[in-house]
Amino acid sequence: MKLSIISEIFKNLFKRPMTVLFPMEKVEISERERAKHKFDIDNCISCGSCAKICLNKAIKMVEVKEEYKEKYPKTYPQIDLGKCCFCALCQDICPTGCLTLTEDFYLATFDKESIIIDPLKI
Amino acid sequence: MTEIEERQGDFEMYFGPAHPGSGNFSVRVQLRGERVMKAVVDPGYLHRGFEKLMEYREPMQNSVLSDRICVLEPLQWNLLHAEAVDTLMGYDIPERAKYIRVILAELSRIQSHFIWYAVMSMGTGFTTGFNVAMGYRDYMLDVFDYITGGRLYPAGYICPGGVRKDLPEKAEKKILTLFEKIDYMHKFAKKENPVWLERFKEVGVLTKEEAIKLGATGPILRASGVASDVRRDDPYEIYDELEFEIPVFDEGDAYSRYLIAMQEIEESKKIVKQAIDRMPKGEVKTSNMKPIVHFRKAKGETYTRNELSRGEGAIYMIATGKKTPYRVKIRGPSFTHMIPILKHLLTDSYYADVPAIYWSLNQCPADVDR
Repeated sequence: MKLSIISEIFKNLFKRPMTVLFPMEKVEISERERAKHKFDIDNCISCGSCAKICLNKAIKMVEVKEEYKEKYPKTYPQIDLGKCCFCALCQDICPTGCLTLTEDFYLATFDKESIIIDPLKI
Repeated sequence: MTEIEERQGDFEMYFGPAHPGSGNFSVRVQLRGERVMKAVVDPGYLHRGFEKLMEYREPMQNSVLSDRICVLEPLQWNLLHAEAVDTLMGYDIPERAKYIRVILAELSRIQSHFIWYAVMSMGTGFTTGFNVAMGYRDYMLDVFDYITGGRLYPAGYICPGGVRKDLPEKAEKKILTLFEKIDYMHKFAKKENPVWLERFKEVGVLTKEEAIKLGATGPILRASGVASDVRRDDPYEIYDELEFEIPVFDEGDAYSRYLIAMQEIEESKKIVKQAIDRMPKGEVKTSNMKPIVHFRKAKGETYTRNELSRGEGAIYMIATGKKTPYRVKIRGPSFTHMIPILKHLLTDSYYADVPAIYWSLNQCPADVDR
């Protein structure tokens, strides 16, 4: 067995580490990354396709709060991130393209209630 | 199985499910000194009931589920599920989609073999091998992330009717750069390591007759001297147009199984390079419709099989004109390797060889339990 240890040591001395110092540095995220949803309520036609295609039933069509009902009278998707598997089928099926998945994957939280996102807050 | 007469000094040990090198699988071994007298395999720690879940979901939703059948090779299960639905629906897949499917399936095979090398090293205490293999596999996951949007789970990227999106810009270049990067890992693994030889040579020998009798497939069968490969015997997608070799070894021991993995990485690279060179331009989906399969139009049954990195995987699906399949039966390649073959190989071996034999079978508890 031949292992050129010395050259390996020198190579590794001047090599950058594979890890980065998070949160000062961040690794590059792919443009196609499927993470937190973004919802444009003004373009939504309330068809409910996203709720129907969701295989984990993470999307539920709900009414908005009383004070916004006049402006948004229909039902809109409410997303339970705890159930979501980030498959992006809802994004692909949306006829108006108002529900999309962004690159924001920092979803860790201590508050259990905050993972169910209201249509106005998505 | 005949009961062994118990003697003083006989004892029973558990290998897994909490063992760092066992995965979600357990083997109960009865020992007499250092010798394994009897091994009882104990699966079921990772049962998720995919066959039943798929009966309640539409094919496009099932294609997302199919990722999870085997965590270590999700793209290949994606492809297998998509092919089963394509056959029932009679889809004519665009040529470009076929090439993308093959490229991703072969990349998935390479990263799966990296894990194989990693766990074989980990099981025998060669931690450097584990770190190197898993580190270089990470570069592959970056490419999966770039193409499918998920490092590990492509979420049904290979879907019924083609693939969900075309390859992004510069994807071909990224794949070829990746091959240069992972070359180091391959050279590292190929070095004749004396410790490695000691632990794997002439250990867990599975003869040709035993392999056929016990239902071995894929690399395990090829390491025992049978040249069997679904890609060659029953070609799917574009495998009949590509040139590649099928590595075969006659020894049938753990070391020859490792050699098969190393040669298959080379062959898979060859396949990916050929596919990239010949890939035509055009559509990647049967139609530009939304992600819905009109499964009510399908009637009949299909048995689709593919060569996965662990062996032969298959899906049997029945459609009765409803929007969900009537029945889905999944045949995971690890099942036959882990139940009859492991039991057979462990009997009368040394306890120290249990991890070497266990991991040389390239098992995935996820596809044993499904």
